[in-house]
Amino acid sequence: MAVDLVCAVLVLVSILVTLQAGHALYLTLYSWDRPASEASAPDEFSEPGLSFTVMLPARHEESVIQTTMSRVAGANYPAHLIQVLVICAEDDVGTINEAEEKIEELRKAGRHNVSLVVFRDGPVTKPHGLNCGLPHATHDVVTIFDAEDDPHPDIFNVVNTVMQNEKVNVVQAGVQLMNYDSTWYSPLNVLEYFFWFKSRLHYHARLGAIPLGGNTVFFERDLISRVGGWDERNLTEDADIGLRLSAAGERIRVVYDDRYVTKEETPPTLAQFIRQRTRWSQGFLQTLHKGVWRELPTRRQRWLAFYTLAFPQAQALLAIYIPFSLITMVAIKTPEQVALISCLPLAMLLAHFLTSVIGLYEFTGAHGLKASPSAVLRMAVAWFPYQIVLSYAALRAVRRQARGVSNWEKTQHVGAHRTLAREAIVGQANDRAA
Amino acid sequence: MTAQRDRTATLRGAPGPTAVAHGAAGATPLRRAASMVGGHMPLGRAGKIALTFAIVSGLLTHGYHLFQYPLYNTDEGIYIERAWALIREDRLSPQTYFYDHAPGGWIILAGWEMLLPGHFEAFGNPVNSGRVLMLIMHAVSVFLLFEIARKLSGGRLVAPVLATLLFNFSPLAIYYQRMILLDNMTVFWALLSIYLLLRRECRLFTGLWSGLAFGIAVITKENAIFFAPTIFYLLSRQTRGDPSRNFAMMLWLFASSTPVLAYFVYATLKGELLPPKLDFSLTHQPQGHVSLLYELWYQIHRNQGTLFTHGSYLYTTWLPKDRFLLAFGTLAILISLWLGWRDKERNLGLLVAGTLGFEIAFYLARGSVILDFYVIPLIPMLALNIGVVADRLVQRSTAHSARLALAAAATCLGALLLLPSGGYLIAHGEQHQLKLADVYYLPLTYLQREQIAWIRAHIPPHDRIIMDDDIWVALHDIRPYYPYAQSHWNAASDPRIRNKMFGANWRNINYIVLSTGMKHAMQLNNTGGQENWILNALNYHSTEVWHAGRGKIQVAIYRVQ
Repeated sequence: MAVDLVCAVLVLVSILVTLQAGHALYLTLYSWDRPASEASAPDEFSEPGLSFTVMLPARHEESVIQTTMSRVAGANYPAHLIQVLVICAEDDVGTINEAEEKIEELRKAGRHNVSLVVFRDGPVTKPHGLNCGLPHATHDVVTIFDAEDDPHPDIFNVVNTVMQNEKVNVVQAGVQLMNYDSTWYSPLNVLEYFFWFKSRLHYHARLGAIPLGGNTVFFERDLISRVGGWDERNLTEDADIGLRLSAAGERIRVVYDDRYVTKEETPPTLAQFIRQRTRWSQGFLQTLHKGVWRELPTRRQRWLAFYTLAFPQAQALLAIYIPFSLITMVAIKTPEQVALISCLPLAMLLAHFLTSVIGLYEFTGAHGLKASPSAVLRMAVAWFPYQIVLSYAALRAVRRQARGVSNWEKTQHVGAHRTLAREAIVGQANDRAA
Repeated sequence: MTAQRDRTATLRGAPGPTAVAHGAAGATPLRRAASMVGGHMPLGRAGKIALTFAIVSGLLTHGYHLFQYPLYNTDEGIYIERAWALIREDRLSPQTYFYDHAPGGWIILAGWEMLLPGHFEAFGNPVNSGRVLMLIMHAVSVFLLFEIARKLSGGRLVAPVLATLLFNFSPLAIYYQRMILLDNMTVFWALLSIYLLLRRECRLFTGLWSGLAFGIAVITKENAIFFAPTIFYLLSRQTRGDPSRNFAMMLWLFASSTPVLAYFVYATLKGELLPPKLDFSLTHQPQGHVSLLYELWYQIHRNQGTLFTHGSYLYTTWLPKDRFLLAFGTLAILISLWLGWRDKERNLGLLVAGTLGFEIAFYLARGSVILDFYVIPLIPMLALNIGVVADRLVQRSTAHSARLALAAAATCLGALLLLPSGGYLIAHGEQHQLKLADVYYLPLTYLQREQIAWIRAHIPPHDRIIMDDDIWVALHDIRPYYPYAQSHWNAASDPRIRNKMFGANWRNINYIVLSTGMKHAMQLNNTGGQENWILNALNYHSTEVWHAGRGKIQVAIYRVQ
């Protein structure tokens, strides 16, 4: 009887996990199954018409903020159509000093469109900073970049063209982690971004239930006010506002073009990575419990939003299930059919891994980098530990949420993607010279 | 504003390294149009009529007289009894499953039987229910072949009409395609795999489904693996220049190998992947338990002379049934290969058809064991090649000569169908009188039904019977059951049946139920003396108690004393 029950659980969970993995694979490869034109950026730019306010929320980002400010202020777009707001909490003296120094330097160079917004009240979170910066935004479109971002110089031309040609008020452009060989987990982390922005978000956008990203997202300014700004208590305010806009019926365009992605870096240490992932998982849980997803108009949209937001919980459950499955593997002799069905998730795991291998080559090829067989081997070795880390972070998020802990665990940035970008440029130059 | 225009001009004229990739993607439709086949090809009114005719005629030629001819075959019996075992006993075989074939075919057959009200008895004899599935699969295969031929020949109708006509009317095709044979099912899956790659939009996940169909084809009958090079090459050509190419190929490989891997995992879980003591000696069967790898090893090393030796099925069975299809089909394969190889870019359709035909012809001709129905996968490929080559001839001709050629071809086909020398619809009887071809006229299975009826009327259910597999399910699925009625194949080689049920002693046999050709099969299967105890009972200790026959077909029942 007990064995029968275990077998039934094994079969049920195996089938559910297989279905989920199959669906995840579909979402991972969704945009490759669609015409390329649906996702890519325009090849010709319209005349600059829209003006942009760039919000740069920063906290303890002394080492990277100046470079980011330079890049944004020096974008290929008329300076008078760009306003840059660096947003800091009052206690972050280091970042404030660095920002002021850069603003002075830019002013001397004739750039007067960069200013600093300092807030004194709490909570000291990114969404609160954004809400504080919003009243100072004067241009048509508000966008957000993180302090370590390397936005493409033509990103404003891309968004200006898309917004004007397609009459959309919200655009999510691509974000891409670049340092795929910095740590054991970085290739898998890089590929998560690659598939999320290049593929999965397009599916969400098409269905109209999209958790937006935290940066390189462009809103028509008044739209943000109309939906009530960012949720300051939410750890994934980006996902939350995306779903609120979706519930309001706003059409959101996703543009992922390898040429115009905003470049970022993976967290420098495993501990930082776990904190970042915990924050995201907990933010999804908060958004789930908040219930905005219930306001989406169709059942399909609601299901997609629910499925996405609840996934960290499923991941936490899987973490609990893994020891159970290992014990049954050793301790219980199951019928061959049951054992065969319980192998199905392994097949899907293989499919996901193969997809990642191809993805690694696609990613490196698109960015002038080179993947090697040893990188694939490292990825294979890292695969299972990485899933365990994700499950651990999900469990940690559930525990924090249950205990009512919701402080912002900040991710440290060291600018590894910038080193890599320089190497890629040098590499390309060498290749051309050769 | 000038600066913006300049930047735009730079993007268009001199893209950077990453923009080059986009430039290539932008050029994709042009490149693909030149090198791929299939795509969007509306069928049109004439096409719809032709397709409807093909399917309906396929249903008629294969469906009419389906339950009467041909005789229920031993292999049909084996697959229906394995489907029975899946449903009734939750096992892959009622006897020891020794990995002679992967189980995809009878898993599907079992699924079909589950759907039927009354399961195996839905159409009378249990074999009939499987034959109905073959009929449905044939109808779908006709659709698939029609579309494959049409797309490989640029959307024109000559190739699909001709190919499906031969596929439907060839007596060689009808004879074997009516039977419940793994080869028929594997043809269906292989055609589906090819068709999916030729669909209007060869999208990423089409590769996945095509791969899955191919994987099922392989675990239905292993010889489908011979089609792999062409199908993969076709996928490669269809996705050339496509941004999703690498993913499509990966998905195809993954999906096609998953069912095969599952088969190996199953054997591993049963502890039957490797033979005991890793003994791969071909001189004796593995002792202790069966083994998948041993069976594969054994099958690879089986040899029965070539297809072209005197007395082979080519001369004794296939050519007498349809000389036309075999001769012209072989010629067409050679022409397709020649034209396709000369210009792979422009003649992709011919190359694909030719290599598909060549691959399965190579499989048959390479010199392993060949059974008569192994010709089944060759039949659609012969028909396909005749179709695409005929289409090329029509295309190469001037409008006037093309009309003449079409008229001549139609006349030849009409003659083939209607003249008795073709044997398609009309044939000569034994006294040279005209009659309908055997496939539409000759009733045979009534002999087996009478045999079953006699057993049920005269033999107690618990008597021990040696018989053939053709009537196994009929005696095990209808009350009263005959649990000790076993085929001579299993009684000779399955220790569970031979030793435990019969003690390998003729005295434990009560009756021997002979199908036509069974005694000859027992003699052929007796190289190691394993059938001796049954032959001993038949030859020296039995009396014929019932007999029926028609022409060369003879069935009988012997009581063993």
